[in-house]
Amino acid sequence: MSRTLVFSSQVYSVETIKKAAYRFSDVLSVDIVPRPGEIECVLQFLSGSKEEEQAERIAAAFKNEVLDQDLRSIISKETEATRNAVLAFALSKTGLQGSE
Amino acid sequence: MSKFQPLSAYQQPLADGYQLLPFRFTSLNDSEYVLTNQASEFIVLERQTLEAVVRHQLPATDRLYDDLKSKHFIIDGDSSVATELLALKVRTKLKRLADFTGLHIFVVSLRCEHSCPYCQVSRQSDDRLAFDMSVETAEKSLALVFRSPSPGIKIEFQGGEPLLNFPLIRHVVERAEALNLAQRRDLQFVIATNLAVINDEMLDFCGEHNILISTSLDGPADLHNANRPRPGHDSYERAIEGISKVRGALGRDRVSALMTTTKLSLGRVRDIVDEYVAQGFRGIFLRPMSPYGFAVKTKWFKAYDADEWLEFYFAGLDYILALNRSGYPFTEFYAATILAKMLTPFEPGFVDLRSPAGTGIAAIVYNYDGDVYASDESRMLAEMGDKTFRIGNVHQDRYEDIILSDALLGPIEESFAASVPMCSDCAFEPFCGADPVFHHATQGDFVGRKPLSAFCERNMAIFRRLITLMRDDAEVRGIFVRWANARC
Amino acid sequence: MLTLSSRSVESRNLSDSPARIVMRVSDRQDRPRALRSREAFLVTNGDIPDGFGIYVALAKDAKALGSLPSQTKAMILPDDFSYLADGDVLRLWTKSNEVRVLYRRASFHNHFLLTERCNHYCLMCSQPPKNIDDSWIVDDVLAAIPLIDPSAQEIGFTGGEPTLLGDDLFRILRTMKSYLPHTAIHILSNGRLFADPEFAKRYADIRHFDMMVGIPIYSDVSTIHDYVVQADGAFDETIRGILNLKRYGQKVEIRIVVHGQTYARLPQLAEFIARNLTFVDHVTFMGLEITGFTRANLDSLWIDPADYQRELYRAVSFLADSQMHVSIYNHQLCVLDRRLWPFARKSISDWKNEYMPECEGCREKENCGGFFASAKIRYSDHIHPIAEVAAP
Repeated sequence: MSRTLVFSSQVYSVETIKKAAYRFSDVLSVDIVPRPGEIECVLQFLSGSKEEEQAERIAAAFKNEVLDQDLRSIISKETEATRNAVLAFALSKTGLQGSE
Repeated sequence: MSKFQPLSAYQQPLADGYQLLPFRFTSLNDSEYVLTNQASEFIVLERQTLEAVVRHQLPATDRLYDDLKSKHFIIDGDSSVATELLALKVRTKLKRLADFTGLHIFVVSLRCEHSCPYCQVSRQSDDRLAFDMSVETAEKSLALVFRSPSPGIKIEFQGGEPLLNFPLIRHVVERAEALNLAQRRDLQFVIATNLAVINDEMLDFCGEHNILISTSLDGPADLHNANRPRPGHDSYERAIEGISKVRGALGRDRVSALMTTTKLSLGRVRDIVDEYVAQGFRGIFLRPMSPYGFAVKTKWFKAYDADEWLEFYFAGLDYILALNRSGYPFTEFYAATILAKMLTPFEPGFVDLRSPAGTGIAAIVYNYDGDVYASDESRMLAEMGDKTFRIGNVHQDRYEDIILSDALLGPIEESFAASVPMCSDCAFEPFCGADPVFHHATQGDFVGRKPLSAFCERNMAIFRRLITLMRDDAEVRGIFVRWANARC
Repeated sequence: MLTLSSRSVESRNLSDSPARIVMRVSDRQDRPRALRSREAFLVTNGDIPDGFGIYVALAKDAKALGSLPSQTKAMILPDDFSYLADGDVLRLWTKSNEVRVLYRRASFHNHFLLTERCNHYCLMCSQPPKNIDDSWIVDDVLAAIPLIDPSAQEIGFTGGEPTLLGDDLFRILRTMKSYLPHTAIHILSNGRLFADPEFAKRYADIRHFDMMVGIPIYSDVSTIHDYVVQADGAFDETIRGILNLKRYGQKVEIRIVVHGQTYARLPQLAEFIARNLTFVDHVTFMGLEITGFTRANLDSLWIDPADYQRELYRAVSFLADSQMHVSIYNHQLCVLDRRLWPFARKSISDWKNEYMPECEGCREKENCGGFFASAKIRYSDHIHPIAEVAAP
């Protein structure tokens, strides 16, 4: 059994959708088909006979996960430099006088 | 005339908005998310609030604004010291890495008179030559032990039943102490024994050298004896007698107990906890079921077992919390390890919950035959025919060869949670670990696909439960803070 | 409340003396002759040994001075100074007849105010800043230190902001180390100047055996802290100062005054300290002193201590459970959550503490620090005598 979802490629990247798909790989597999202006996702539910209601719920969860992955990519872009600066400082010896 | 400025006079820079500091988020339940930062601090938010935060739409007047700022999830123009503090906190968390290997396990004999079905390693045999560690092997192993830079060195004797090769234990302890005179590490010894064969000579030796005893106690007599058969069917009675003897000779807290969870344990968690309370232990480690026996026979260590264990664990945790609420302090040690990561600035250093993985970095095993393994589970896998995690041999390899071997570094690098799919953006990653041995055994690679991982499922369920319990109940939070900060 | 200073001193034969005299007080008949000329003898009713530099008497004992030669240098103090005892140190300004007791050997709470200048303007400041040149204080202190009994356990340094003295502060600390090598030092400071690593290093280079800086942090939120101390940028500099002090291995105590502007986020502040400043040596929660600026800001500062026990308990217990060293000062036991009693210390300087009428019959008076004298203006509505001595 399958479901097809379409995402606007203006809003979401393929990377984002792939990450969402990975999280759901225990219950479904996703065929990702990019087209001009949109990304089509065909969700194949794995265990065969999922009830209509479950499929609906899972597809909704998948959509939310795509939204979440999008938020994550925003955070990641914005904070990459700080993340590296914090790690660099943490792993350096500067600022440490004498013993820890 | 007022010489004093109002609060608003100090809030001008807030009008310019805020910046995000690095953080990750994962769902806590249907409506809320957990956010964590690089210093393992966490905060729980509703989804709409999370979105507002990320899109720079959270007003400075929102009651969560101050919490997000003080816990270092956002930063504004009024204060810049957050990044220095964050870096210092990350440094504190990473400090254990620099210490490197602290736990050194010596498998001094494979011989054992028990025949526990879950044990992968023991031999019922009297053949000392074949199954005991030789003095030469011990000497070579000790040389490697002291190559570790760790300021604290813990040498743990395992087996089989290590006391069956007591002369070698004696040799290793005395030799290690001699070597340590110059090295001045914080040197500790532990013997993991079923206590069935302990005698006064051994006890005296342990007393003289401050050796700790770790024994097995799976639960009340019927459960313990069913799990751990031996000739005479009296493993429990011997363990209890042994514990009492050790306490009398060495001191009340010089003996600790570990349980192994089997199918028989499921459904008996309260009995098991009661047994530990009755025997005067201050806590218990409710261990997950080992996948290693199953994994060889069945390809996947499947979720339904994980669910049953979680039920067991949560029932145990609830029962233990009830004990604490009634005024009896008693710790669940797995939760305590996780809580230390959540609630303190420190890294507890528990081998199985480390990323980079604890294999080699936190612990190393010197087998009776001189083979060196990255962890105890690695050794068990080898006994079942899979030597993936054998990282060298004390008679053939130098320290550098072992520590820099692909067999050790490969799994660590590949399984590093900050880099692998799903873990790299999981908010729970700071509380979790990489377990390349587990994933290799159950899924065939060091990383595993986390949606299919029992390790992941188990841990995420526990993280969510602990956070939810703390949030809803100030008394539980207090109990958890004490568990997290207890110095063993 | 003890009187430590006075302008109503009557002096005799001191017109030719130096403008400032710092002297140790003695009441010993057998004081070695070699020491007497630079000390002040406390005259009461007994024999008066000769050879002392100055003779000091309370007004009620002034008659006894009559038996001394007429040119004897003498001082008559108001009877409020009846606590004066052997080993105390006092300073006299001869031109204005002002005396101040700088050190009392019998007290556990000796401290020196080093300056009234300050770079903060805290809403609840008990020693409102004055922008004046009071560098003469440094001279007083440097003169007094060698006269202090070497068995003194601890001396405090306060202000204003002591670090504004710069090098003079370090001079004083080194003098303490030289003359009182076994005396601990406790400095109250906002810590901001230690944000300069050079300054922190010079402080550390004194290598004193037991020196601690007590530094206030009033909130985990920078804007609130800056508001309470009325100085923009204070939070960041104070934290950086603490970090530097710790980098150089110095002892740091964090002090938090609990009042209307700080009580609400006390638990969050405790968490902030436990996560970010886990290495500090002590955390203290202080009760509000109704003096100085507090009175001007009473409306925004006053909260009945009984009304913030929930926040205080959460904050203290979190820090204590995190294995940090915590104390509660200046709180009366009857308004403190019972679970917090183990953390309460009798902390009000003995020259400041008093009890209220509501304390009549309380069996915990011995253990309770009582009140600041200034508390008469405003104190908790819930003060009541404790009928039973608490079980431990």
